[in-house]
Amino acid sequence: MSRFILQFCAVALFVFAGVTVCYAQPVDLQKCTICHGKPGHKRIDDSGHVQSLFVDEKILKGSVHAVRACTDCHADVTEIPHRVLPKKVNCTRCHYLGNPVGAPQDVDYQAYLKSVHGRAAANGKKDAPWCQDCHGNHNIKAHTNPGSNIFRDSIPKTCGRCHVDIYAQYRESVHGEALIAKGNQDVPVCTSCHGEHNILAPTDPGSTVYPSHVAEACSHCHAAETIMGKYGIESEQVATYDESFHGIAGKFGSATVANCASCHGVHDIRRPNDPKSSVYIDNIPKTCGRCHEGANINYAKGKIHVDAKKKEAGIVYYVAFAFKWLTILTMIGLIAHIMLDLNKKAKNSRQRKTGQPDA
Amino acid sequence: MPSKENDAAAGQAPSVAVGKSLNDEMEITRFSLNFRIQHIVLFTSLIVLGITGLSLMFHDNWLATLIIRLEGGVEIRGLIHRVAAVVLIAGSLYHVFYVMFTEAGHTEFMKLKPGRKDFSDFRQALKFDLGLSDKEPVFEKFDYVQKFQYGGVVVGVATMIFSGFILWFETPSMAVVPKWVIDVTLIVHGYEGLLAFLILFLWHQYNVHLNPTVFPMDRAWLTGRISLKDLKEKHYLEYEEVVRKSQDNE
Repeated sequence: MSRFILQFCAVALFVFAGVTVCYAQPVDLQKCTICHGKPGHKRIDDSGHVQSLFVDEKILKGSVHAVRACTDCHADVTEIPHRVLPKKVNCTRCHYLGNPVGAPQDVDYQAYLKSVHGRAAANGKKDAPWCQDCHGNHNIKAHTNPGSNIFRDSIPKTCGRCHVDIYAQYRESVHGEALIAKGNQDVPVCTSCHGEHNILAPTDPGSTVYPSHVAEACSHCHAAETIMGKYGIESEQVATYDESFHGIAGKFGSATVANCASCHGVHDIRRPNDPKSSVYIDNIPKTCGRCHEGANINYAKGKIHVDAKKKEAGIVYYVAFAFKWLTILTMIGLIAHIMLDLNKKAKNSRQRKTGQPDA
Repeated sequence: MPSKENDAAAGQAPSVAVGKSLNDEMEITRFSLNFRIQHIVLFTSLIVLGITGLSLMFHDNWLATLIIRLEGGVEIRGLIHRVAAVVLIAGSLYHVFYVMFTEAGHTEFMKLKPGRKDFSDFRQALKFDLGLSDKEPVFEKFDYVQKFQYGGVVVGVATMIFSGFILWFETPSMAVVPKWVIDVTLIVHGYEGLLAFLILFLWHQYNVHLNPTVFPMDRAWLTGRISLKDLKEKHYLEYEEVVRKSQDNE
């Protein structure tokens, strides 16, 4: 009971604090821009790193927070000049479920706390991203706004600010190239596979890109005829994988068996006819050889995503077809033989009963 | 008196004790102990192979999924399948040895050899079953159905062992053969397994269990014996030979 009271008090305090903060008398923007409005305003931290402290008023006015005052977010700033270095802004001051100022919020935020980023931040990792690292700070805009850091086309660049190598790979990949060069909206960006607030490490069994979940992640697009049809790509690749030894072992929880990414690559996926692709015909021995020791060019002779039910499978199709009919005809023959035998036995037993042969 | 079960004599013409007249309740040896043990090894390994193999082939089916989970996942499933395969291979090798180098085995094997009579028997049985003829075919120790089943098992097991080896040692295999051969091998292994399963499950079940004359079970696989009454009914030519031998002995 006392725990309930304690929880109630904590929630009440939190709500009260939130209301107080959001309705607190805002500090006039002018006061801050005396210093922060100067383009050269900067500070040098202990490690010698130069940090610009200039805030472009125009950018702020173009953001979703145009009506907010500096201290709405920088609530710990209470005096000018600041004797204590202002802390990193905490968005949850306003963005919590049921907040009274109408700051947008959804349950996704809770997922951040459990995500690889949220946990790293909670563990005190300095460069772990907070909200503003992805969403932007003074320039924050709705994700539907092309100027936003989290506008679909801009997501790879935003994630790439920390994940530099991965961004470099993605940019060259079939997906990244289509997005960046052609503005293609069908190709996946980082969040399409990894999730957004709920991003987990690929080694976490809950992750959408955990080895046994990769096929499902790819299937969202690659099993969709409506998307694949546009580019002349087969949409059965995931289905044929599911039917293969790799797919079955994956389904039953093997984490070492090959998934889509094991052969095609992850961020560096290329077209199969691109000589740099891991599934380019000359590269297949090397790619398969990562698991199958001594793999040679034999691994490339024959269709990889083979579906025995399709004519394109060639000899595999015909052998399966022949066996199917052999089985069906054998079964018909055997059942007919059994029926005839039963019929004969019935006739014999009638004869025995009546002592007379059937007419 | 039925002949004493005598393994050394098994496979040869059944002997009936001297000086006694034959009656229907007498039994003769049909399968020697050695033969019965081979049969048990064969069907035990085939059942295990069938369950583990078909559950992989139809892994989307809920029952197959359940079986694989009960077996402890795909890797343990594979292990069980291969252990059973080794048992089958050992049994098969022993059988080849048995029919080639033992007199009992060889005599039995020669009786299983298909001949012209089997085809005419089959035609005659069809005619009789369809009511086109009043003459029922009579058989020796093994009728055409039993010979067909034996032949089917020999061909099926040989195919399964050969294709199974290719798939078991897929990395060394692929050093030699291209991927499409592996794909074909997988199809052959799966469909041949399914065919064998259906034949055994349907036809053999009917012949030795569900058939009204033997229901619920023909006990010959356990006791190795068959009564003269049944012999007369099902293998009349062998029965005649038994009678002739018994008369010769008198």
